[in-house]
Amino acid sequence: MTSPGSSELRGNPYFWYRLMGRDEEGYDVYELFIGPQHPASGHMRIIVRLDGDIIVDAEPDIGYVHRTMEKLAEGREYLKNIPLFERATIIDAANITWGYVRAVEQLLGLEAPPRAEYLRTLLAEINRIASHLYGFGIAGIMLNHSTMFMWAFGDREVWVQLAEDLTGARLTHSYIIPGGVRRNLPQDFKEKALKAIRYMEKRLQDYERIFVKNPVIIARYVDVGVIKAEEAKRLGIVGPNLRAAGVRYDARIAEEYGAYPELDFEIPTREEGDAMARLLVRIEEIKQSMSMIKQILDKIPDGPIFHEKYYRMLPPKLKEFVEQTGRLKLPGAFIRLKPEPGEAVARVEMGHGEVFYHIVSDGGIKPYRVRIVTPAFRNVVLYRYLTRGARFMDLPAIYGSIDYFPPEGDR
Amino acid sequence: MAEDVYKPGNLLVSLKRHAAAIATGLRYLLSTKRMTVRYPEFVIDLGEGYRGMIRWHRDRCISCSLCAQICPAAAMKMYKLPGEKKMYPGINYQRCIFCGFCVDVCPVFALEHTPVHDISYEELDEMIYVPTKFDTEWVSPAAKEGARPVKVVFDEEVGLRHEPQ
Amino acid sequence: MAPQPLDKVVEFILSPHIFAPLIYPGLLAAMLVLLTLIWAERKMTAKVQLRYGPLYVLKPLGGIIQLIADAIKFMFQEPILPRKADKWVFVLAPVTMMAFTIIPFAFIPAAPGFVGVDLEYSLPLVLSLSALVPPLILATSWAANNKFTLLGGVREAFMMVAYETSLFIAAFAIATYYGTLSLSKIVEAQTVPGIVLNPIAAAIFFVAMLMTASKLPYDIVEGEQEIVAGPFTEYSGILYMLVMGASYMELYVLSLVFVELFLGGWKPVIPALASIHPAFQGIALFIKAYLVLLFAVFLRSVYARYRLDQALEIGWKKLFPLSLISVVWSLILLVITGGA
Repeated sequence: MTSPGSSELRGNPYFWYRLMGRDEEGYDVYELFIGPQHPASGHMRIIVRLDGDIIVDAEPDIGYVHRTMEKLAEGREYLKNIPLFERATIIDAANITWGYVRAVEQLLGLEAPPRAEYLRTLLAEINRIASHLYGFGIAGIMLNHSTMFMWAFGDREVWVQLAEDLTGARLTHSYIIPGGVRRNLPQDFKEKALKAIRYMEKRLQDYERIFVKNPVIIARYVDVGVIKAEEAKRLGIVGPNLRAAGVRYDARIAEEYGAYPELDFEIPTREEGDAMARLLVRIEEIKQSMSMIKQILDKIPDGPIFHEKYYRMLPPKLKEFVEQTGRLKLPGAFIRLKPEPGEAVARVEMGHGEVFYHIVSDGGIKPYRVRIVTPAFRNVVLYRYLTRGARFMDLPAIYGSIDYFPPEGDR
Repeated sequence: MAEDVYKPGNLLVSLKRHAAAIATGLRYLLSTKRMTVRYPEFVIDLGEGYRGMIRWHRDRCISCSLCAQICPAAAMKMYKLPGEKKMYPGINYQRCIFCGFCVDVCPVFALEHTPVHDISYEELDEMIYVPTKFDTEWVSPAAKEGARPVKVVFDEEVGLRHEPQ
Repeated sequence: MAPQPLDKVVEFILSPHIFAPLIYPGLLAAMLVLLTLIWAERKMTAKVQLRYGPLYVLKPLGGIIQLIADAIKFMFQEPILPRKADKWVFVLAPVTMMAFTIIPFAFIPAAPGFVGVDLEYSLPLVLSLSALVPPLILATSWAANNKFTLLGGVREAFMMVAYETSLFIAAFAIATYYGTLSLSKIVEAQTVPGIVLNPIAAAIFFVAMLMTASKLPYDIVEGEQEIVAGPFTEYSGILYMLVMGASYMELYVLSLVFVELFLGGWKPVIPALASIHPAFQGIALFIKAYLVLLFAVFLRSVYARYRLDQALEIGWKKLFPLSLISVVWSLILLVITGGA
């Protein structure tokens, strides 16, 4: 029985502090509940304790879009989990499923053909640009810069359209499957992609003029929410947030998956670790991704897009269709993939950071256990860490700069 | 890009940046570019390859039920039609996620994606397509009411251009 | 023959005492400004952002009566009174706020010799009347009894002291040069626009104007990303329309003052329009004020929001010293040129 007057609570000094409107340390604080129904906070709540205009403590309260994805995955066949995990980060669907597919491929002992690896990398980089633009837009509207919001979301449409041309779906591509990819490169794709890249390069200059170098943004972002390399490593931050703190870590070079070992790209880092550094790192990553897309389209090898083991099973008529249209047909045996008992881990660099999969197979047609560690979940600690001592109006600036995606954190 | 944002700016630099931001805004204010497709009047022609509403051809179907087995959302189910021995697939669009696995797994091309995607329903029951209803052509309601189809064209200047056909 | 009572009524209405505050440049013109300005703001922002903006209400004219549709919606929306609110203050504060933004029109001259009440001290009076609005915003924020409104009210209190001082000093700087505090005399004395004579004062007045009406980059009071809608969080329906309209009205009043101080007021006079009503020969005032308003709301598509402490820093550390410099500059000009 813990009614407010019970002796158990009365012995707790925290109880008396709370009764007097003070926090644990005895500060006189003003407690604000921001979200989950709030114009700036989507699918999550931040409990902010203010001392005047200074944030004493900000507590991210997540879990409003928890969909028990790990548990659901245990009840589905391996292939059917792909559209499920896609929905954790719908804006970055290729990258989040790639990690899962890599783990499943390890269990199955499969390896995708080189062309398929290139196509996977291509879609992953298109997704990375779209994901960064999404974060860019949210960061803009958090500071009430509605133009940045509209521009970033509008230009994201270009990349979504490219992904649609490649996969047939705007966001939930379900493109990367164990053993390969589902569609071949369309005829005029290269031309379209190069146009999109040239357009984006022009637009980035306008972004710079109206947003990045806008004195208001400089005032709001420089030296706000600073995290240094040592702290970032200690807290286990991933992705652009980590690289903006000066740690050169990226799963694309650490793991050397896909076509990345054959591509020439840089991992942009900055030393400052503030909100502006996070923004600049993302812009630089957009540029790097565009250069990678160019290289992929130049270098992409010819060959099959699907592993021979399964492609062999298709009847000649279907093979002919696949050759003609570039759209893969799946053999019936693909429905119930049955890997050997064992465990597999895989990690992939998403737009938000590194996603980690751990799959345990008991030899059945469904995974025994799937563990996902998403980048958003690892970065959520930043809310608490970066906001302490900041001004209240820095909260949206920090929120926007972290690029937190609630459904991904909650899974 | 923007390396100098960290340098302590003076009044002149700051004024220059204000002017650049305002000039960029004015430039867009005076341009004629738009991104919007005014949907009920114009409808994007999605063309071949888009994973839209699924069309089932009864004459081709061999009742193998692979589509129902592969469906990750359990939207596709096999139905027994009155007076027939074979089972045929029907789809529930309350559940369908348009992953297209059923289309890819169909060995006889009985299932096909159509570019139609803008169907809306007044009642939940209407979203369940039993085989008899599933075997019909899809028509976009906007196109039926005279929306002009536009084609998406990549453009270096405006990103995506929507050209009326 | 005794004059008809109807004629008397018409004459009464057309006299400056009524015409100025109620029709032009007062309430009716202000309503027109309100309706078209918010539409224009949305349209311009949409244009910069590569969208269309309001379009479907009266489509041939680009949705210009969108605001009327919105107003009708607000009228018929249920105005919710929070149970724990101080109901009298909660209801009366927006109404009074609107009133304080309309009263200044009686003292703002609209054409040569056309003003509701001609006073020697119309400039400080108009500025003081518009300075009465922030305390009422504070009242609403306290009356609504909500954590977000209270924070908004505190922000308004901070902002108010930061911009009012500079606004007043900048206005007096230019008035010092003309040697009068009467708006009509200032306009009459302007042969060269004030913005050329004292650009510092003009810039300060414009920035302080943006702060007063909480327009970007200073829409700190309503900061919707942190505190929902600031002091106006709990308002709905017609009361929300009033509090939202009040800030635009304030902006309109101040832009009229800005034009009279710095942009030559109603000059050039168009005598042909005097046949309609003497007030309309000063239509240039309205057009200039409208252009100033358009520029002020256009900034919304360029800027983000400053932080509260940064805005205060701008107010106290930049605008305030600069406004003192502008006074000194006016005095130097006065000595050099010998006055207007």
